[in-house]
Amino acid sequence: MNRSSTLLALVLLAATPLAGHAQSILSAAGLGFPVDAVDARAQALGGVDVGLQGEAITAGDPAAAAHLIVGTVMMTAVPSWVSYSNSATKETGSFRAAPFPLIGIAYPAFNLGVVTFSFESVLDQRYRGEEAATVSLSDTLLAVTDSFTSAGGVSQIRLGFARAVSRSLSVGLSVGRYGGSLTRRLVRTFNDTIASSALSRFQAGGYWDYSGVAITGGLSADLGTVAHVAGSMTWSSKLKATASSDTKGSSASFDLPVQVRLGATGILAPGLAINAGFTRADWSSIKNQVATGTVSGADITWGAGIELSRASFLGRRAPLRVGYRHSDLPFSLTGSKPVETAWSAGFGLVLKQAQTLTRSALTQASVDLTFENGQRTDGSVKESFKRLALTLRLTGY
Amino acid sequence: MKLTAAAVLAVAAVACTQKDPTSVDASLLPEQPVTVEVSLPWQDFGSNLGYYGGYGSAAQTGTGYVANDFGGKLTARSLVRFGGYPVSAVVLDSLGSQLTDYDLTFHGGRVVAFFDTLGSVATKPITLQLSVLRNDWDVRTATWTMAVDTVGNQTPWGEPGAGPVEDLTTAVWDPSTGDSAVFVLDSAQALTWEDTASVGTASVVGARLSALTPGARLKVTDVALRLDTRSSLRPDTALVLSVDRSDLTFVYDPQPAPPTSGIRVGGVPSWRSVMDVNVPRTLDGPPQLCAVVQCPMTLTKDEITYAALVLHTMAGDTAYAPSDTVYLDARPVFDRTLLPKAPLGGSMITSGLGRRLPPSLFGADQGAAVEIPVTSWMQAVIADTTNTGPRTVALVSTYEPLRISYASFYGPSSTLAPTLRLVVTVGPPVEHP
Repeated sequence: MNRSSTLLALVLLAATPLAGHAQSILSAAGLGFPVDAVDARAQALGGVDVGLQGEAITAGDPAAAAHLIVGTVMMTAVPSWVSYSNSATKETGSFRAAPFPLIGIAYPAFNLGVVTFSFESVLDQRYRGEEAATVSLSDTLLAVTDSFTSAGGVSQIRLGFARAVSRSLSVGLSVGRYGGSLTRRLVRTFNDTIASSALSRFQAGGYWDYSGVAITGGLSADLGTVAHVAGSMTWSSKLKATASSDTKGSSASFDLPVQVRLGATGILAPGLAINAGFTRADWSSIKNQVATGTVSGADITWGAGIELSRASFLGRRAPLRVGYRHSDLPFSLTGSKPVETAWSAGFGLVLKQAQTLTRSALTQASVDLTFENGQRTDGSVKESFKRLALTLRLTGY
Repeated sequence: MKLTAAAVLAVAAVACTQKDPTSVDASLLPEQPVTVEVSLPWQDFGSNLGYYGGYGSAAQTGTGYVANDFGGKLTARSLVRFGGYPVSAVVLDSLGSQLTDYDLTFHGGRVVAFFDTLGSVATKPITLQLSVLRNDWDVRTATWTMAVDTVGNQTPWGEPGAGPVEDLTTAVWDPSTGDSAVFVLDSAQALTWEDTASVGTASVVGARLSALTPGARLKVTDVALRLDTRSSLRPDTALVLSVDRSDLTFVYDPQPAPPTSGIRVGGVPSWRSVMDVNVPRTLDGPPQLCAVVQCPMTLTKDEITYAALVLHTMAGDTAYAPSDTVYLDARPVFDRTLLPKAPLGGSMITSGLGRRLPPSLFGADQGAAVEIPVTSWMQAVIADTTNTGPRTVALVSTYEPLRISYASFYGPSSTLAPTLRLVVTVGPPVEHP
């Protein structure tokens, strides 16, 4: 596989970035399940993608791409295995998911800075529900199954610009457009027949297109050689869900919260760094705007991690990472305050490396792999999940 | 670079197996739809019930009937023609070699009549008469009174009822012992249907089967002629040779009179009943429906879960009462003004061979409700907003013609008049979460 075919493979994969499936039964609550659109490295270091050392194409830290010196393409896939239970309904189940929550491209632009383009999942609204029931007719009882499918979610296309103001200070700005769509379909299937004739199933549903704008500004700074700090803020317009012409349901719009992110990394020793960060978004303003589930209020995520960057494997650089994350989820199925916690561990592996004109190392291809083990609790609903994050990064195109 | 390629493939592979979170928690579903039943009386949907007969002929059934005063009136006779007699036979000589013997001598034979034991109505042994029919007759148009009834040739029988005939022999069929009756022929009788003027070709001479015992109606599925012969090459070898049957039909009397009320389907020639159906496009009830949607509501095709014409079976004339499964179908009529020759559309019943009804529904269990599912047709009619007028529907036998019997149903003037049964499912709009 040469460079062109590798790039083509990435483009093909990127063509269906939201083709994955849902990550949580909490996708059924409110506007859906917030997707962690972070790469595998950030996932391993506590899931907060701001304030990490090094260059990155990330939604939460638009200034992080400022020091990229060559074109970079990265892509993250996050397969997960989830089992859940509901102590109130005595229901248990499991499912798998494999979304591509983040795809990013960066390219230096005429020594002015770095232009970034990314495609991210924002809210996941995929889930299915089923209920068996009976319908009473004049002379018979009919067994029916009502199944409901919600497919789609909110995504974002983002165009950003990052510039190193000085050797230690960088700024970034990105403008994003919310997109995606939602298809909701209710099907009543009749399991019995009348006069040996099957009954037509009943279908009702709707289709909504999402639109809206988000602007993110960020700043990052190196504090000497011992620390790195960064912060960003995202403002969003109303998220509009526009019903298609043949949808009987109505259009809707939602006030998206301002998101604030802060993070920092401290150097404990050469090749050993610790980082921590948090994000906050107050969703309470849309309490009266969602029809399903409840809004628990502020979504606060905090996480921390340690990275040993000088580790190697088979002669190649292979940094090791561990982290922990705690998230207050914004939407609840049960009216309680849902929480997600997870431990993570991962490593990176440089696949190909070259030297720049200044003889410094330039990574041309690398992968980062993170394993996460966590759980979510929302009143009587509990989920435990195992998640793998795999990021492929190619540079030099 | 190989490592890079492997990494790309690994990223692609992670999306291979997926399964959405699925819950049986009803709270995750939007407001559920309601399924209600609506029964429309005849006057709310039906009109212009009419009858048309004469579709097909007895020969098309490929069967025969014999009856004598069945149901107090029905007499039926089967007419048969046989093919050419065999002119040679293969025998083995003492060494086992095959020899063709062209000098055959017929010294006897049998006519074997086979009966449909389920489709026949007979509770006791029936004596049957085999006769020779020397008049020319047309298998496609022969009736009780006419031997030939084509456009250029109307020739009545010498005697009504496919006569005159020469009685040949009799046989007794006992329905409790088998499915066939054997008429034994002597050497002279065995040559009755041989065309000596044109050896090997079918004779114009026919055979007529009739019943001597009254009160039975037998369905003849086939008639065979077997000839006993002895080889001239090996006189100790006896052979039984079969003569193909070339024609089989039946004539009967009386022809059923057009119905004065009710619905009639089937018979030979076949009857069709035709009605106009005004498909409801709005509903103003029942209360369960109006609790969910605003009434009157306009029906859409997706809301039609089930639609059926409901007929009530009627015990009609005993002479023509079904004795086997009735196959009932409903088909749209493209242009009523062209009846009785209006072309029909495809079956409105999606499940195979139409509606199958046991014969008891037209006898001891008469008055039973029979549903003819027409869901797909009704959905298509409702979806067609350019033509909102009534549609003409023909009730026909799935196979036409099939049997001498016909099915009867109560008509609009009866308390068991046809109704239109609708099962409708409606629900509130599915909203954005």
